[in-house]
Amino acid sequence: MADLGNILLFFLFPISVFTALSALAAGMTKRRGLLEAARRGAYAAFGVTTLAILALEYLLITSDFSIEYVASNTNLALPMFYKIVALWAGHNGSLLLWTWIITIFIAIVAFQNRHKNSDMMPYVLFTMAITMIFFSVLSIFISNPFDTLYQEFGNKLQEFTVPDGHGLNPLLQHPAMIIHPPILFIGYVGAVVPFAFAIAALITGKLGTGWIRTTRRWALTTWGFLGVGIVLGGKWAYVELGWGGYWSWDPVENASLLPWLTATAYLHSVMIQERKGMLKIWNMTLVISTYLLSIFGTFLTRSGIVSSVHAFSNSGLGPAFAVFLTLSTILSVALLLYRRKDLQPDEELQSLVSRESGFLFNNLLFLLATIAVLWGTLFPVISEIFTGDQITVGPPWFNNIMIPIGLALLLLTGVGPLLAWRYTSVETLKRSFGWPILGSIVLVAILIGAGIYDGWALGSFAISFFVIWTIIVEFINGSRVRSKNSGEGFLKALYMLSRKNTRRYGGYIIHAGIVIMFVGFTGNAFNSETRAEVGEGDIFELGPYTFKAQRIIHTETENYAAETLDLEIIKNSKTIAIIHPEKRYYFASEQPSTEVDIYSTLRSDIYAVLSGMSNDGERVIVQVYRNPFVNMVWIGSIILIFGTLFAMLPNLRGQKSKNSIPVNSTKGAIA
Amino acid sequence: MKNKLKFVVGSIVIVLAVILLAVQGLQEDSSISYSKSVSEVLILGDRAKSLTLKVNGELKKGSIKRNNMDLDFVITEGKSELNVHYIGRDPIPDTFNNDMDAEVIVSGRLADNGIFKAERIQAKCASKYEADYSSSEI
Repeated sequence: MADLGNILLFFLFPISVFTALSALAAGMTKRRGLLEAARRGAYAAFGVTTLAILALEYLLITSDFSIEYVASNTNLALPMFYKIVALWAGHNGSLLLWTWIITIFIAIVAFQNRHKNSDMMPYVLFTMAITMIFFSVLSIFISNPFDTLYQEFGNKLQEFTVPDGHGLNPLLQHPAMIIHPPILFIGYVGAVVPFAFAIAALITGKLGTGWIRTTRRWALTTWGFLGVGIVLGGKWAYVELGWGGYWSWDPVENASLLPWLTATAYLHSVMIQERKGMLKIWNMTLVISTYLLSIFGTFLTRSGIVSSVHAFSNSGLGPAFAVFLTLSTILSVALLLYRRKDLQPDEELQSLVSRESGFLFNNLLFLLATIAVLWGTLFPVISEIFTGDQITVGPPWFNNIMIPIGLALLLLTGVGPLLAWRYTSVETLKRSFGWPILGSIVLVAILIGAGIYDGWALGSFAISFFVIWTIIVEFINGSRVRSKNSGEGFLKALYMLSRKNTRRYGGYIIHAGIVIMFVGFTGNAFNSETRAEVGEGDIFELGPYTFKAQRIIHTETENYAAETLDLEIIKNSKTIAIIHPEKRYYFASEQPSTEVDIYSTLRSDIYAVLSGMSNDGERVIVQVYRNPFVNMVWIGSIILIFGTLFAMLPNLRGQKSKNSIPVNSTKGAIA
Repeated sequence: MKNKLKFVVGSIVIVLAVILLAVQGLQEDSSISYSKSVSEVLILGDRAKSLTLKVNGELKKGSIKRNNMDLDFVITEGKSELNVHYIGRDPIPDTFNNDMDAEVIVSGRLADNGIFKAERIQAKCASKYEADYSSSEI
């Protein structure tokens, strides 16, 4: 089976080359037959990679420990479910998964466009096939998951089998782990589709909004997956790593944030191009950057150039990635420069207080955020080149920059959509923002009265309140007007209004989700923690809570042994919950693992970690964190997903839709 | 053109503000740290005491001493050794214990008595085949 997998995987390389060459030939000769050949190549690539994935799954499920990957990432006692998902638990397997997702996407794109975009498709397939060639080379020649275990006997290499595998990393034995990497991969890899269309547009000179419209859903989908992947990564870190937080500006976290930032900027600035014909070069730049940053993120996590809690091993892929990234960058920039004359704006900016300038400032802030995160992430590398010292910048540095930028962006979330295109009058501004601003001021006064003095937190709450207000008003006013004109009831009008312009109202829902997430982020300003060594019956306190260690229990399963603490949480002399932080020792991997337990409410999380045992085993060291509003982050992200899905729904069509969107009023469509 | 100018001025103000924040952040002691190996720290001597450091080395087997909530251990690189006292609040990593070969990164400062006061410990284990966390968050 390993040989079969290897052969199947090996076929991917010639198939990818064939696809790239026939696509290129199709582009140059405009012959349909060649394009058809490239399309079949794309399907074939998907076919062989799928079979290779199945072969690897077979090896994992049957625990074939002659295969290094299987022996490194699974063991006999591992539950079947984890054997299956071990496909992406290690470097080589996850790289194959990555490659597989590219082949899925190229097959889908080839199929979707089999009857359309025939002028651009050759170069779209060509660009995607080049990426496919690169990843197939990595998967086949550098990080092959079908490699067998071997030892040197004298001068000969000899294969061998181990009786049991090393086991799955305990940190990865968690439900969020099952979905989080594939989701993030889909987000990363998805960036290749808009990129391929952008490159095709540049090559063919079809620089209208055609490529943008074709890739709108792709851009939105991959953006959504990237966002969900980032949040799930945070969730996984929160429940699994046991340091009480979900984000630490770790290089690997940053790597996933970077393409998300540029993709978000693109989703906004593309509206200006569709509407005003401005920012054409800029949009190309953002699409290209998103792709390059996705590849860069993979490079960062697998090359070992920066150290991270998430990525320790140096997989030897660094040089290959560096070459691929450099070439891609040079070629993209060269193409962009070559077409720069055809990418001039149709209109000029007319007023500082307008929707256009709102978008421009939005983009400027996203750009600065991207540069800041990139700079901070690469600072150890940069500083070593210039000073000889490897200097790491920590979370305080990132927070110092990113909190102001984040709040400015949040403010624009509320202000931007209410500004009219071209020019907004002072009257309109007063009407739109008077009450929300007043409301925010009142809120700040109340919060100060309640004893909150943290400036950033107050600012964040005030802006959040302001933005949510403006969003709600948008929905209510729109529905009222519609209800009056059409005679529909309010709820029906609300539904019809949103469904007739899903992009605009989906956007508002996404904004609302982001605001709620910001409230969650702001909770970090009020985190508190304590640490205690306790025996059975001991008591300690944190804020208004009293904690009582009830029992310390030892248990053993086939997979691991565990110490569990029953910790009673008491508030106002009442027991509100008993939580069970646990320390496990996994036999196969010989690794201990900390299982945190969280008592979670809307207001705050009580997060308990069993961080160690005393030498006699009678007492345990327990660390308790109180994290306000963490749930808002997860709730906000669910709203964000809903908004993204909503924005992808097709608009309902009716007789009224033609005239219902006045262009120059504050109610102008985002679209 | 006047409007374009206004926009450009606004943008420059924003860019300058962000650059200011970035530079200001680098001045703060708590936000930057120098990555060094154990022997490099010993060579630096007194100069090391003025810097926030991230020191990487091997955990000396059996050197971990726990006394209630105190934690002391030794990290090595070749023949160089550095005594570490943990003063951080976060739970120590799972891969950090006496029985395992672990590569360790400690973040903190070198005290006058030559003992390193660590606020953070990161450990990666040298596992049998491959220690690979990379896939967890790519």
